[in-house]
Amino acid sequence: MLLKNTYNELLKIATKIRSYIGIGALTLLIFIVLFAMKADGKSYVGFVTASFEQTLSFNGKILNGNLIAFIIMQMLIVHVPLLIALVTGDLLSGEEASGTIRMLATKPISRTGIVLSKWIAATIYTFIMTLWLGFLSLFVAKWMFGTGDLIVLNSNGLLILPEADLAWRFGASLLVAFLALWTVATLAMAFSAFAKNSVGPIVSTMSVIILFTIIGTLDVSVFDSIKPFMFTTHMAAWRSLFDDPFPTGEIIESVVILTAHIAGLLLITLVRFNKKDITS
Amino acid sequence: MSLIEVQHLQKNFGAFQAVKDVSFHVNEGDVFGFLGPNGAGKSTTIRCLLSLIRPSGGTLNFFGKSLNENRSEVLSRVGCIIEKPDFYKYLSAQRNLEIFARICGKDIAPRQIQEMLDFVGLNGREKDKVSGFSHGMKQRLGIAQTLLHNPDIVILDEPTTGLDPQGIIEVRNLILRLRDEQKKTVLLSSHQLSEIEIIANRMVIINQGKTIVEGEVHELLEKQSLNLEVTVENAPKFEETMQQHYPHLITRLLYKSTYHIEMLEDVRLEMIQRMVESGCGLKSVIPKRSLEDFFIKMTEK
Repeated sequence: MLLKNTYNELLKIATKIRSYIGIGALTLLIFIVLFAMKADGKSYVGFVTASFEQTLSFNGKILNGNLIAFIIMQMLIVHVPLLIALVTGDLLSGEEASGTIRMLATKPISRTGIVLSKWIAATIYTFIMTLWLGFLSLFVAKWMFGTGDLIVLNSNGLLILPEADLAWRFGASLLVAFLALWTVATLAMAFSAFAKNSVGPIVSTMSVIILFTIIGTLDVSVFDSIKPFMFTTHMAAWRSLFDDPFPTGEIIESVVILTAHIAGLLLITLVRFNKKDITS
Repeated sequence: MSLIEVQHLQKNFGAFQAVKDVSFHVNEGDVFGFLGPNGAGKSTTIRCLLSLIRPSGGTLNFFGKSLNENRSEVLSRVGCIIEKPDFYKYLSAQRNLEIFARICGKDIAPRQIQEMLDFVGLNGREKDKVSGFSHGMKQRLGIAQTLLHNPDIVILDEPTTGLDPQGIIEVRNLILRLRDEQKKTVLLSSHQLSEIEIIANRMVIINQGKTIVEGEVHELLEKQSLNLEVTVENAPKFEETMQQHYPHLITRLLYKSTYHIEMLEDVRLEMIQRMVESGCGLKSVIPKRSLEDFFIKMTEK
């Protein structure tokens, strides 16, 4: 029954227009960045490397597909959560708003089954979005700009990662980015279990992300104890995959915190939906 | 055998007691009328029966088993429409039925979906999106969804709400077919009392969250006084005759020269004879022992 309803949920997602808003917007944004880089990428890279040019000389093709992919990921990972929440924030509340929740909840499938099948479908949707982001940013950028070593500017300075060392880093970083987006998807779904329309969960999810991000950037000691446990702190963990030496401990910590958030939020959704009186 | 047994059902929403003490039972093969004025607790009771709402007290048994402990098994044998059937508007009628067929607890072949669409008269419209359907068509699709898995019990909560007269007749005929052709047990909640009177063999009336009366429809109606609606040509003569021979009967002028007479005993033949003899110009005598009168009497108490 769980698998059959998961198929139903995927079918609903696949046939809703709002599911393609995210994919369409993501595609458009990536192509805008690609176009901008094609038109004026050299001056953008020059701005970054200018401060190092007195001590270093850069040879080869700095503006390559790998750098463009890294820039795109850096720019869009922050915005993709909104596109994910657009779909997952509607999963339970949308059924409530349209009244179909009554039809669904009077079928032999358990309420836990309903939530889990929606969550699995949300996971698959999030995974597809992440893959699409990876495909467009990596493969299309490489096709347009060619390949080469990756120059990464981080807090320790300039890091040059050889091309041969990049495939696994991009793969792993997409997996960690997926984990962060999965957390957002589960958060939006948790809000969805409390709401009767999809606007509330989407706005609430974005509000939480903005609030936590602001708290994370505030240099105030009172928040220091909670910052390591906020999921937004770990949303940029994918970037650590491009550090050298590789910060294994930090990455594991981020994976654990994000996974704990997913489990906790799913549990809240299950408890809430199981106890809910459907009066709509 | 009782297929549904509700005992001392209670439901509180915070401090508000929506259902205080509702009990009734539905036998196999019954078309059971579930009646009550607005706010009586009908929808809450039905939602409890379908596990949409968790009861605060009492017991709900289907097929002799507790609903709480056998939810999936029970719901696989129950089909329902709650108020109005809502569907995924962006999907076709057929797609909607396929979605519900996958989670109804039985294997439903595509042929059965088509047969059910034919049964409710939606053949030829199966590929159309539900967003383009009229309320009546949605209601018929709702009935198709209800019957798709061949349930033993069909629960219909206000299935004719919002329908035009044609739609009401269509739904009524569908329910009659369920009763006569498919021998289903039907629990029907409706404000259309004339409909319940025609279709149902047993009923319960609830008011203010409590059971008022339960029993066979004809037996309950037999117990109440017989009323007549009499139209005459000579109203003063009629009133004089009534005053002279039946001063104990309650007679009300309904309009112009039509009267409503509440009878305590069946003296129809004698009364008609007297009126003919008195020359009041008897035009029509219509017996009025309706469920409507009974319902109003029960819920006014």
